[in-house]
Amino acid sequence: MREALLRLLPLGVGVAMLGLWEICVHLTQVQIFVLPPPSAIGTALVDNFATLMGSLWVTLRITALAFFWAVVSGLALAIIFTRARLIELALYPYVVTLQVTPVVAIAPLILIWVGFDHVDRALVIIAWIVAFFPMLTNAVQGLRSTEPQLHDVMTLAGANWWQRLYYLELPAALPAMLTGAKISGGLALIGAVVAEFVAGSGASTGLAWRIIEAGNRLEIASLFAALALLSALGIALFYALTLLEWLVLRRWHDSFAKSG
Amino acid sequence: MTRAPDLALHNIGLTYRQPRSGGDVTALRDITARFAAGSFTALVGPSGCGKSSLLRLLAGLLPPTQGDMSAVTQSDIGFVFQEPTLLAWRSVYDNVALPLKIANRKSGLSRAEIDTRVIEALTWVGLEARAKALPRELSGGMKMRVSLARALAKRPPILLMDEPFAALDELTRFRLDDDLRTIWQQQKPTIIFVTHSVTEAAYLAERALVMREGALQSEVVIQRPKNSQGNFRAAPEFHATCAELGEALAAPPARAS
Repeated sequence: MREALLRLLPLGVGVAMLGLWEICVHLTQVQIFVLPPPSAIGTALVDNFATLMGSLWVTLRITALAFFWAVVSGLALAIIFTRARLIELALYPYVVTLQVTPVVAIAPLILIWVGFDHVDRALVIIAWIVAFFPMLTNAVQGLRSTEPQLHDVMTLAGANWWQRLYYLELPAALPAMLTGAKISGGLALIGAVVAEFVAGSGASTGLAWRIIEAGNRLEIASLFAALALLSALGIALFYALTLLEWLVLRRWHDSFAKSG
Repeated sequence: MTRAPDLALHNIGLTYRQPRSGGDVTALRDITARFAAGSFTALVGPSGCGKSSLLRLLAGLLPPTQGDMSAVTQSDIGFVFQEPTLLAWRSVYDNVALPLKIANRKSGLSRAEIDTRVIEALTWVGLEARAKALPRELSGGMKMRVSLARALAKRPPILLMDEPFAALDELTRFRLDDDLRTIWQQQKPTIIFVTHSVTEAAYLAERALVMREGALQSEVVIQRPKNSQGNFRAAPEFHATCAELGEALAAPPARAS
């Protein structure tokens, strides 16, 4: 009972903050195009519901695709890196280069190369660049952190490289990979928003574009509405991946020992 | 169980380069020994004397840098590590079955055969009722039994054990020692058992090889009265053996060079 109430605590804080916000806006008579009250934002959300949902879908699609490819490519590259030291030595600096170069600076190039015919594809690629690095590094670290004695067990059993990967390394790396996926998921959304911003006018119709549009028109309530949806999307993504982590690991992993 | 081949080591040496200083470290030197099929040998010595290295070498996990040894196929070997080394995400049953499943391409065991062997091995160690449990639900002693069952399920003619019960409380260790004796008497695998405990060596083995600083120091044959199946730990022979082993361990290392 106490536990359940504590879980509701953040919700209570949110409601209180919104109430305070509403009251302050009314008391100080701030202009609606500077800071709209939560009630106006709610109205904007309801009025533009169809458009916003369409935009939410666009952003969600870009995010999901970028995340999917980040997981697939990060994992595949991690497996290759941990099997072939030479390939890792040869490629790793370039992977780092891709990561440390600000994506906003590369985005125009990608838009020129890919974006003329397939804006969506360009946006996915930009978001993917942002998202894939944590997946790669966490998967590499996970695949490397298997206990040496467990490797001996596999050697003595006569395991080939594929059996070693399938029975030992991948399951042992799951906790690290899921941590990587959680970070990548959040970054995929950030990447999608950045990509939409860079793509600019009319090229995309996602939530970020709604924010730019609303800002240009000084419809700050609509801007906040789109922003709220973006946050909700990010939160949903994070908790979905946390749930996945719990479902996969709760039975055997130490970090869930108490609740399991 | 297939017939156990004799194991022979001839002038085996093991040196490796220390990564930081670049100097050579001698882990094993000039080891000549023979392990007859079906014998039970204890390797005794203080920590760092090279007994674990010798065992890993026998298992083919480490190649010797000098000398010759009889070729062993890894499928003939059951290895029990100091830690249980179980896969945390697999049940007791699946942990024991894994080496059989992996070896299945070559050995061609049917599903039913694997099942029979796993249940059999779990019964030997008294854990058939916990087949579905996950490792983290078991005590340290039980995990060690699972590890033992995993080695036994292969029905290996050679069983190599690296201080398997060292981390357990004494009562559990006594019980597992008894279990191991029974399994050895029933199936007669060649057992080489590394331990730093004089009493454990004296209780389990037919002979003990004493190691010091990477070399074999002495051999102690352990006398066990024929009919005292029940309580060898109380027999005077047991205490005499312990004393003899203790002396052999305390003797100054016989340096070859």
